[in-house]
Amino acid sequence: MTGDNVLSREERFLKKFSAGAEAETRKIVSALRTRLDYSREFDYFIELAETCGDAEAVSCRTGRRTVNLLCVQAPVEMVHAAGFQPFRVWSGSSAASRFSLAAAPALMCPMLKALLGSLRANEGARDGNWIIPTTCDWVIKFPEMASYECPSFLPRVFWLELPHLKDGPNGGEKWLDEIYRFKKYLESMGEKIDRHSIAESIELYREAWSALTKISRMRGCGLLANVWFALIAGTMFLDDVRKWTAAVLNVAASSTAAYRNNARVFLAGSPIVFPNFKLHLLLEETGMSVVADDLCSSERIIPGAAAFEDTSEFGLMSALAERYHRACLCPTFIDNDRRVNNILGQRAETNFSGVVFHVLKGCHPYDIEGMGLERTIKDRGLRFIRIETDYMPEDERNLSSRLEAYRCTLPTPQ
Amino acid sequence: MSIRVGLDLGSTAIKAIFTEEGKCLWRGVLPTVPGQEAVASALINAGLTESKRMRGDIADVVSTGYGKKLFACARANVDEITANAEGAAKLSGGEARTVINVGGQDIKAIRVDERGVVVDFRMNDKCAAGTGRFFELAARLLDSPISDFDWLAKNSTEEVELNSTCAVFAESEIVSLLARGIPKEDIAKALYASVARRIAGLAGPLCGGEPVYLDGGAARNRGLAEALEDEMMTEVRVFEHPQFTVAYGAAVSSL
Repeated sequence: MTGDNVLSREERFLKKFSAGAEAETRKIVSALRTRLDYSREFDYFIELAETCGDAEAVSCRTGRRTVNLLCVQAPVEMVHAAGFQPFRVWSGSSAASRFSLAAAPALMCPMLKALLGSLRANEGARDGNWIIPTTCDWVIKFPEMASYECPSFLPRVFWLELPHLKDGPNGGEKWLDEIYRFKKYLESMGEKIDRHSIAESIELYREAWSALTKISRMRGCGLLANVWFALIAGTMFLDDVRKWTAAVLNVAASSTAAYRNNARVFLAGSPIVFPNFKLHLLLEETGMSVVADDLCSSERIIPGAAAFEDTSEFGLMSALAERYHRACLCPTFIDNDRRVNNILGQRAETNFSGVVFHVLKGCHPYDIEGMGLERTIKDRGLRFIRIETDYMPEDERNLSSRLEAYRCTLPTPQ
Repeated sequence: MSIRVGLDLGSTAIKAIFTEEGKCLWRGVLPTVPGQEAVASALINAGLTESKRMRGDIADVVSTGYGKKLFACARANVDEITANAEGAAKLSGGEARTVINVGGQDIKAIRVDERGVVVDFRMNDKCAAGTGRFFELAARLLDSPISDFDWLAKNSTEEVELNSTCAVFAESEIVSLLARGIPKEDIAKALYASVARRIAGLAGPLCGGEPVYLDGGAARNRGLAEALEDEMMTEVRVFEHPQFTVAYGAAVSSL
């Protein structure tokens, strides 16, 4: 505070930002806690989500320094093995995105807009090192935009150069080189990563992934609502991974309300990040249950367990590199048939009758990939709807009309 | 008890229709104002009076439209796309395959099968371009009621381009055309072409070459149908009472 209780510009920004962000979080938390299928097992995740943008809180909780990660291609096991807490930085806050209006193009990816907004409003959010894989154009240019306000941002970025042709002759090799460069970088700030520490981390995250898979199956059977699954998955990096895994197993052990009469759909496309659960809630309200998804904010929050036979350091690093590259379904890859195959494969397991394709306004890779996906899905006799939206609530009525009509085209499970 | 009532609580108008064995007995419309439930009740009362029926004659009330959940007395509510498809299918004798609805706040293009079941649809996002709101805005700038647009467009002598489909940019474009002394007649014609372009862009991928059926409040303007024909290069048919297709669909809905 400056003299006479007059707030400085920065203080005013922070106050306004915090009030807006807290209000939207309160709204969704209240909606979650008053649901018929709410149970105390979810409290742990709700409380984590309430502090989702706060790296300092995560650091205090875990006793480890956080390393900020954008997107899903940097192996979190390596970050953990170097003694850090991987902290997936993204934001679903519309209050935060308003703070980027003067600093970002109007049609910028809403998620990065919100992240930029929180960096502008809150100096504390700018701290730490940033690991940024070269995925989409918005992500690549994000540090440059952030550095207009905060010149110290760009030098703290470690770029992971992502080969966009996965199955090309050099893609895998190049990526493995990048992963080794990443290892050196982490070691320069933290602990040495050796065969034992990396194996231990792989095991920890394998257990986390296995727990997530359990509740994913519950969702597929109608035993867990998608909104809970999304909340749980989105909090994976907000606490010690062991504690998080134990809490997920608690949920898996409890039986929650079922939504078996809803039409079953697959949710694909751009990520949906807390507290922006607009689409998750609208899908439910209009009588649909998401039984599987391929969002990098939910089902793909980690790419699964690394499979290896060779337990040498090279063997483990290669297994991680492959898992985070070849298995990744990000639409920024050129050869991405795996996305369609994954959806069709899940159809056999979860028997959904339609695909809801979510495109965040300005998210070009998903927008482009959606066109081919629509054709393939429809060719298989499945229903497809493309929902393009952002974080603002004013299109809820419009979306609701579309989703209701779409729901009417889907069969209700017997 | 034989009357089925369909109520379409839209963003700019509330429409009610009374049907008996699929035939229309009465229809009425009032502008949407706060307190939609009271407006809808007033419409039903007016319908009963004018059709000389008793409240007990009403067998069913089904609501649709953005405000469908605001009318608590409805037995059921149905989304406006499904209602539109059912209404258009019945009114066209099962011929309609592509239906375009130009409402107060949105445009919908619906692909239906012969039973009136929605096969696919497209809808504009949060944007007033090409909707009834766009016409209202133009009416204010041209100082002419929307109902005069047809007459104005028919008397157009020069081709004028209205490039913006965005309501905000179109507003400044219309202002500058007026400032240049371009007659209202030419602007009205350009307006229809501009809206038709926007609609064709949305609906084009859904059309299968058959005639397109146009409904919604804006479809009362015959000039829009003509402009749409030119843009889509296909026959555009307009229902006799295009504003009521959705309410009719709700009334005869299979729900």
